[in-house]
Amino acid sequence: MINLENIVKIFHKNTINENKAIKGINLNIEKGDFITVIGSNGAGKSTLLNIIAGNLIPDEGKIYIDNKDVTKTPDYERAAFIGQVFQDPLSGTAGNLSIEENLAIAQKRGEKRWFAKGVKSSDRKKFIESLKVLGLGLESRLKDKVGLLSGGQRQALTLLMATLVRPQILLLDEHTAALDPKTAAKIIELTEYFVSHYKLTALMVTHNMKQALSLGNRTIMMHEGQIILDIKSPERDKLTVKDLLEMFSKVRGEDIVDDKMLLN
Amino acid sequence: MSLYAFLGALEQGFVFAIMALGVYITFRVLDFPDLSVDGTFPLGAAVSAILIVKGVNPFITVAIATLAGMIAGGITALLNTKLKILNLLAGILMMIALYSINIRVMGQPTTALLGYDTIFTPFEAFGIEKYILTPILFAIILIIIAVILVWFLHTDIGLAMRATGNNMKMVKAQGVSTNRMILFGVAFSNGLVALSGALVAQSQGSADVNMGIGTIVAGLASVILGEAIIQDRTVFRAVLGVIIGSVLYRIAIAVALSFKIGALQMTPSDLNLMTSVLVTIALIFPGIRKKIGLKI
Ligand SMILES: Nc1ncnc2c1ncn2[C@@H]1O[C@H](COP(=O)(O)OP(=O)(O)O)[C@@H](O)[C@H]1O
Ligand SMILES: [Mg+2]
Repeated sequence: MINLENIVKIFHKNTINENKAIKGINLNIEKGDFITVIGSNGAGKSTLLNIIAGNLIPDEGKIYIDNKDVTKTPDYERAAFIGQVFQDPLSGTAGNLSIEENLAIAQKRGEKRWFAKGVKSSDRKKFIESLKVLGLGLESRLKDKVGLLSGGQRQALTLLMATLVRPQILLLDEHTAALDPKTAAKIIELTEYFVSHYKLTALMVTHNMKQALSLGNRTIMMHEGQIILDIKSPERDKLTVKDLLEMFSKVRGEDIVDDKMLLN
Repeated sequence: MSLYAFLGALEQGFVFAIMALGVYITFRVLDFPDLSVDGTFPLGAAVSAILIVKGVNPFITVAIATLAGMIAGGITALLNTKLKILNLLAGILMMIALYSINIRVMGQPTTALLGYDTIFTPFEAFGIEKYILTPILFAIILIIIAVILVWFLHTDIGLAMRATGNNMKMVKAQGVSTNRMILFGVAFSNGLVALSGALVAQSQGSADVNMGIGTIVAGLASVILGEAIIQDRTVFRAVLGVIIGSVLYRIAIAVALSFKIGALQMTPSDLNLMTSVLVTIALIFPGIRKKIGLKI
């Protein structure tokens, strides 16, 4: 459904700081896949998600959504197919606008916006029903500014906004990393609910190995701009956190070997 | 202050509030500090004045002046979004360019409207004194514009515009072109500023290329004064705040100009200094309030 063909992304190209962040990635995301993405810092996970979302344009390669070439489609147009939740809980919502106004903006993702009333009274009923699902009591605070909410509440709202218009793919970039453990667990629970309830296709970056194996149906591991492991259920079910950690140290170990060989 | 001076301050407060609402759109809604207004204010005045002299219906000249302001504002926005020029600099470039353009528009630095029909002429037939008629007419126009603005900021596109000034990342992720929002917003803003300029030119009976100097400071003063007085920001309250801020600002000026301490008499040329002091006071006002609130 979503195809990445030989994607290359180079930051600061042709300068002394040139950094090949993505080194020829091929990835075929099937409809209904819930993929967890792991990899050490700087492996290129965020860059990969940003390339899919169109926030970054790759230097080489093609991106297809439903066989449509979207490589050059700007991010705001691609947003019609994509739901995004970022690591920073403040990034996904507009703090100066009320909860209902934020939802109204999300409700029009992929549609033309002109002079129709932003929040209609019929919308409010829908919003209340949607907010109840979050179980945070936000349904009684429609007119509150989002800036008044906690990080966890904002992240839950962002998740709701990302799925209010069902996306072809939901991109989650360490979306619980900035939250306390209890709130993070709640957000993960909601994530699972939305993905399974709406049968969404999702790509979720996480630092939690246990989560990476227990959530979704497929796990990919990235290292230095490449995918070094891509494993689906049922094979994935046999994999343990220990196996993953061993693979991690193995690729890291090879780094050291590489360095040594270079020094020699 | 005499009634005459008070009505004069009201008149100015109302007509400049239209300009201040434009400044509110760029500085507060879009978070786009646009300095083109020092050029689009006299642009509106120049376009309206020259067209009146050429025999065009005064009401139509106001519409064309507004359109001219929108186009100029749109170009400022494009300088920023397409050519990636810093917003502040884009506005300054437009402001400077408009100085020359405004002289071109009029063919000279000033255009007098003495003896020509203006939008006030049809109402003068009712026999109302001009110093009463003008503030009433300006108030009506201002109310219409304020209502349209509040309505607009609650439409789909208005919500997207407000979010653009708040969190561009979120807006893009929700499928909105922030460039388009900036284009619409800055154009809308400068349309209002030019409209205000056209009305001022018609009421004072002339357009002058230098009449725009300090527009941005006055607009900002009104916005900030309004924020200091009316807090808890909903769109409606913010718009009301700008209007009240604009009126208070003009009253403050009128009062200041009527002061005489010994041989020291404030003159209109001291206005910019006074405005800067006023903006500074208004900026620290919420802070002062907080401090006092803590003590009690
Ligand atoms: N906007 C950017 N400009 C320059 N370099 C970047 C940018 N974003 C990421 N990088 C670099 O690209 C590499 C991959 O980063 P990233 O995708 O953020 O890694 P991850 O999310 O896996 O931790 C890193 O070396 C990082 O420094
Ligand atoms: Mg990252």
